[in-house]
Amino acid sequence: MPFRRPRFVHGRILHNSGHGIFYRMEVSIPDRIEFVPGQFAMVSGWPGNDPLLPRPLAIFRAGGARGKGNVEFVYKVVGRGTALLSGLHEGDPLRITLPLGHGFDLGAEDRVWWLVGGGVGFSTVFPAAVALEAQRADLEVFLGARTRDQLPPKEWIPGSGVPGRAHLCTDDGTAGFYGRVTDAVRERMDGRKASERARLTILACGPREMLKGIAELALPLGIPVQASLENHMACGFGVCWGCVTAVRDGEKTGYRRVCKEGPVFDAREIVW
Amino acid sequence: MVIPAVTPDLTARVGSVVLKNPVMSASGTFGYGLEFSPFYDISRLGAVIVKGLSLLPTPGNAPQRIVETPAGMLNAIGLQNIGVERFVSDVVPRLADAGATYVANIYGRTIEEYEEVARRLDGVASLAAIELNASCPNVKEGGIAFGSTPGGLSTLTRRVRAATGKPLWVKLSPNVTDIGAMARTAEEAGADAVTLINTLVGMAVDCRTRRPLLSNVTGGLSGPAVKPVALRMVWEACKAVKIPVVGIGGIQSAEDALEFLLVGAAAVQVGTANFRNPNACVEILDGIAGFLVRERVARLEEYRGTLRL
Repeated sequence: MPFRRPRFVHGRILHNSGHGIFYRMEVSIPDRIEFVPGQFAMVSGWPGNDPLLPRPLAIFRAGGARGKGNVEFVYKVVGRGTALLSGLHEGDPLRITLPLGHGFDLGAEDRVWWLVGGGVGFSTVFPAAVALEAQRADLEVFLGARTRDQLPPKEWIPGSGVPGRAHLCTDDGTAGFYGRVTDAVRERMDGRKASERARLTILACGPREMLKGIAELALPLGIPVQASLENHMACGFGVCWGCVTAVRDGEKTGYRRVCKEGPVFDAREIVW
Repeated sequence: MVIPAVTPDLTARVGSVVLKNPVMSASGTFGYGLEFSPFYDISRLGAVIVKGLSLLPTPGNAPQRIVETPAGMLNAIGLQNIGVERFVSDVVPRLADAGATYVANIYGRTIEEYEEVARRLDGVASLAAIELNASCPNVKEGGIAFGSTPGGLSTLTRRVRAATGKPLWVKLSPNVTDIGAMARTAEEAGADAVTLINTLVGMAVDCRTRRPLLSNVTGGLSGPAVKPVALRMVWEACKAVKIPVVGIGGIQSAEDALEFLLVGAAAVQVGTANFRNPNACVEILDGIAGFLVRERVARLEEYRGTLRL
């Protein structure tokens, strides 16, 4: 049986290769997992105590057969931990806790899904795109990056061959829409009738400023936004209380854990 | 011929509390215990020490709350917790169902609040002991105000001692000059055991943005980086008091835990290691058992406190 509840497993790297600024790493694990798009794993593999903590990585894909699983991650080098991960090779051991967190809710029917990924945020929304495609749902993908080289390779985009599926945006205009992904979403929304807008649901992952922009754009129009947040985490499974984000709690502000109640939140809850 | 013990006796005694083994989870690193049930049977642990409980639910500090440092981490969570009432009504039955031995870590903004929380827990039959947090560095009134001077610690311990019949463990701050004197103060005020160390106050700043990395500016340092300091303080406390000393601080492996037991700790608590590996406590437990088998030690008690000086 594939597992859904979090487990700590020892894995082995099958491959770990660079694609532009991104790394794609596949790992064999002792069993098959079932995950909800938007869920993540805590990953470490370097020897010794420094850096101390594992790194949260979105689960990009999972597969395998009975009694033997594999899981794939896409990541960008942002600090020492991910730099050390990028230096690991085929056969190297990894320590992984997965699957973790609350993922995207893809249950609603007859929706038009817009998936927005900023920077490496695509690694969180692509699994949702794959799941929605399997449901034959109506979806479009918006991808933002600073420049052309920082967009994911085209062949990684689920259904990249489908006309009108992917909207690429760059801050410097070197590819696709010239400007921020938020502006591309706004333009596309402006061209839609109210009846079409009423069917939209947005799933987004990226820098907090981007998520805030999407929320400010969509929420006043009544368009639901599921936002996947990032934060520094110590444990990833809800016990350190280090990764909280401010949320509306009645009249007051409360704190919820990005790793447990998140990383995917209803954007209306978040104090941006 | 001596037949080596196949299953060594790991029983550990912390005053009147008899633990099936010396490995406990440290408060603040283990939630309310049940969060670890997906990973293993928490009744295997000597005890679960739950996250610090206050009289009322506490929201905690604003983010950013944690930052990684060399071989360690700083935290300034601010004691976010569900409050003692919800703990008793929602969590206690589930911990009892899970068969866990558990200890409640408590704190208050005032001595009266500490007393109130202790009184509320006094009637909880399945609760093994109360651990008095006299040492959280991240909340102004979160214990350190009472725990950093002998006078404050003495008053707090005496008052809470009078408020509960439960075994009372006092968790000491390392941010003091003479840890032995503080341990003695707790002992004289009626503590059944002392547990140490809580985190060391530290700080991290960004030289480029010129800003602190924690919203609270300072935080508590934990992890392997603090282990040598913790080991020294546990050793000193063991020499200073007759009551049991529970060793805490940077324990990542069975060897680390054994070092604390070697210098005299009655038991240990594993903290930050739980964040890196949710199975850390049981891996350490199995490692201690394996070590004693290899060393042909039949009972943990024979090994404890046998440091050769």
